[in-house]
Amino acid sequence: MNRRKLIALSAVFVTAVAALLISSQTVLVSARNGGARGQNGDREEPPPPFYNPYPTGILPADLNSEIARVLREVDNIEFEALAQLRALPSPTLTNQPPILAHTGQRLNVLLGKVMNFDKNISPFKDRACGFCHMPYVGFSGPIPSVNLTMVAYPGSFQFRAGKRTAQRYTYSPSFPVLNYNETQAAFFGGNFWDSRATGYKLGSPDEEQAQGPPVDTQEHMLPDTACIAFRLQTAVYKPFFIEVWGDAIDTIKFPHNTEEICGTPGGASVFGTNTMPIKLSSADRSIANDVYDHWAQSIDQYETSPDVSAFSSKFDAFLHDPATNPLTADEMAGYNLFRGKANCNSCHLDGRSTAPTPATGTAPNGEDTGAAADTRPVFTCFGSANLGLPLNPRDAIYYQDKPDFFGFTANPFGFGFRDLGLGAFLRSGPGSWASPNDTWTQFAPTSDGQMQTSSARNVALVPPQCPTTEAPGPYFQKEFFHNGYIKSLKQLVHFYNTRDVFAFQFNVTSGHCPTGTTEKVDCWPMPEVPNNIDMTIGKLGLSDTEENQIVAFLQTLSDGFTRPYPDINTFTGMCTTCNPATDPNCSSSRQGNNFLIPTPSPLPPCASVICGVAPLPGPKPIP
Amino acid sequence: MNRLLPTLAITVLTGGLLLSNPISAQFVPSAKKAAHVRILKGPELESATENLTIIRWTSDNPGGSPEHFGVVHYGTDPKNLSQTAKSHIRLNPTHSYTVFRVRMDNLKPRTRYYYTVDSMEPNGRSDGVTSPIKTFTTP
Ligand code: HEC
Ligand code: HEC
Repeated sequence: MNRRKLIALSAVFVTAVAALLISSQTVLVSARNGGARGQNGDREEPPPPFYNPYPTGILPADLNSEIARVLREVDNIEFEALAQLRALPSPTLTNQPPILAHTGQRLNVLLGKVMNFDKNISPFKDRACGFCHMPYVGFSGPIPSVNLTMVAYPGSFQFRAGKRTAQRYTYSPSFPVLNYNETQAAFFGGNFWDSRATGYKLGSPDEEQAQGPPVDTQEHMLPDTACIAFRLQTAVYKPFFIEVWGDAIDTIKFPHNTEEICGTPGGASVFGTNTMPIKLSSADRSIANDVYDHWAQSIDQYETSPDVSAFSSKFDAFLHDPATNPLTADEMAGYNLFRGKANCNSCHLDGRSTAPTPATGTAPNGEDTGAAADTRPVFTCFGSANLGLPLNPRDAIYYQDKPDFFGFTANPFGFGFRDLGLGAFLRSGPGSWASPNDTWTQFAPTSDGQMQTSSARNVALVPPQCPTTEAPGPYFQKEFFHNGYIKSLKQLVHFYNTRDVFAFQFNVTSGHCPTGTTEKVDCWPMPEVPNNIDMTIGKLGLSDTEENQIVAFLQTLSDGFTRPYPDINTFTGMCTTCNPATDPNCSSSRQGNNFLIPTPSPLPPCASVICGVAPLPGPKPIP
Repeated sequence: MNRLLPTLAITVLTGGLLLSNPISAQFVPSAKKAAHVRILKGPELESATENLTIIRWTSDNPGGSPEHFGVVHYGTDPKNLSQTAKSHIRLNPTHSYTVFRVRMDNLKPRTRYYYTVDSMEPNGRSDGVTSPIKTFTTP
């Protein structure tokens, strides 16, 4: 955008603001809704009406009480983190270059923690990072009923919500800057399911990741990155921020309407296409940008620290000293399957035997032939693959096709939306970010449908009072893979094992498996994105017992075995239980099947702004 | 289990010395290519339905890039296998063998097809697999 255009835009914007400002406490509203607002001086206005485009049953019945529960938990952790900060002896600023000696690193980690659990970093002061990423589930989504139904978590203006599962972020700082490997013709690194936080600017994908949610229209929803500096100026922990990053933050002069702007969710029609509605001098804008970088850097330090990425699992103990910390027979069998017959470690590298050994053997045997490599494996290759998951019609994104109170529509395509993952990012497509590298665009067709290979660590991490993810429980209902289609680890392994056995002969979408079959047991619906489907998996020939052994192995990857996992005890909600005698879906294989709903039939074709953009998906178009 | 223990002990001893950067260890570099790749099992039809056909075979681990493709050359005339289908797999550098599976979703119903298989690196370089000509008929 050139300067002239920007000035013109901000002129329009200023007029809009001038016309609509009502009080210092109100939000900015679009012209269409403006007339309805009352003139009540400086008293706080009632919050805008909820956005509820969802048919009955899409939002879980206990959503409001669960949101309140998680907000209380977030506050508790914030309170604890503040106390930890205050108890920390001050570091000594010394050295050239200057170093915060002694406790500087811990100070930065704890600063990241208080920012991570600070609700004020959102227009309605009701969303912290932690709201969607709680420690007792490995920093993934903390609401069982959301995991069971709408998949995505509601952001600051309720009930706008995103499209993917709140990714577990333990070990996400290990991912390198997104790079294209010429020899392997594949992308490695980045953060997010679609790798769109590349790290090209700050040198760390995890830092650039932390700059996403605050201004994501479906998450924190701040309309301008400078709102972070604005809110930090009044944060109780500001002295600690200044101690680490200096006091420039205090010199920023925010215009009087900043609270109104930061109290209005991003995407609101009053902002037009203006992404910097707060009018700042260029010097102040630079400082606000620095503050935004520092915000990301401190959060990354928290996520990197043993408070989050702990390497304290039973498997770590086993690697360290197998004689003292043996795996059980089932876990060991699962481990051998993971790196043998089931071939999981071709993508979820277990750090062993990465020394390549072209074969001379004659028979498939799955034995470990190479030298051991890594004592701290993170169980990913940092690459991406399309596993061929079906479209999940429960995903909240499909229903957000009408404008909300602020005149914003998250997904105008409704069920014409398709999640092309990495391919969408390389085309700078809807729902992703702009790609910072045009030479990558050509690789979009070979990346469509690909999602980042998650670390398998902490996939089974649950709060102590609900000791498993698997029915009949008592269990903690999680959701798995980028669209939450899978509801238990048994189903996850069964999918890898039988995707191509029970798929395709039916050619159905979710909710339409033929009578006499059971979805996820002996019927897998067709993939959402049929291109680039990975064929390492799909028919592994595992028995039921072998599937269970792999689940047992995955459970050894949960942190908290060698020492308590920080904040694991902060869950105050209820575990789920069911009765296998009365509920046919009360088993790990069928858990969640009570909540299957039919995919619209016929499914509207993929919207042209997603699938009709060059370089076109191929070789076949996406239906 | 018994075989594993000594190797693990070595891991613990050498891991820290060899790898100052655990991230570099996580990425699998391209490996030495196997001199000669033999098919150990197949190729054969894994599944054939109206919507999808999968060809499957097992060969020696070809080595090279861990990102790999299985390739099926096919056609209705055994002397003219001019069409190609390919599918992505990831090689497991620790395995002596590799299972390749290729999806073919553009076939005509009730038609006899002939095919050979090969595998290749993402840059198109063939692994030089020698495969017999096989045949199947779609439902
Ligand atoms: C409203 C829910 C929500 C909030 C609030 C939220 N996130 Fe997320 N987070 C998600 C979702 C959903 C994803 C996956 C998004 C995608 O891939 O498109 C994600 C992905 C991530 C990842 C990527 C992990 C990886 O391995 O690539 C990290 C790290 C993360 N979030 C940290 C944060 C931080 C830090 C904040 C606060 C600044 C935050 N999140 C706020 C829902 C949320
Ligand atoms: C071809 C590479 C590949 C192979 C082989 C593979 N995975 Fe994955 N794995 C992925 C990708 C890609 C994702 C994320 C996919 C998505 O969400 O769409 C993933 C995700 C996962 C997750 C995390 C799910 C979540 O919601 O966080 C677990 C656990 C997992 N895989 C276990 C396994 C097991 C067990 C096996 C062997 C049976 C296996 N994987 C084989 C690529 C692979």
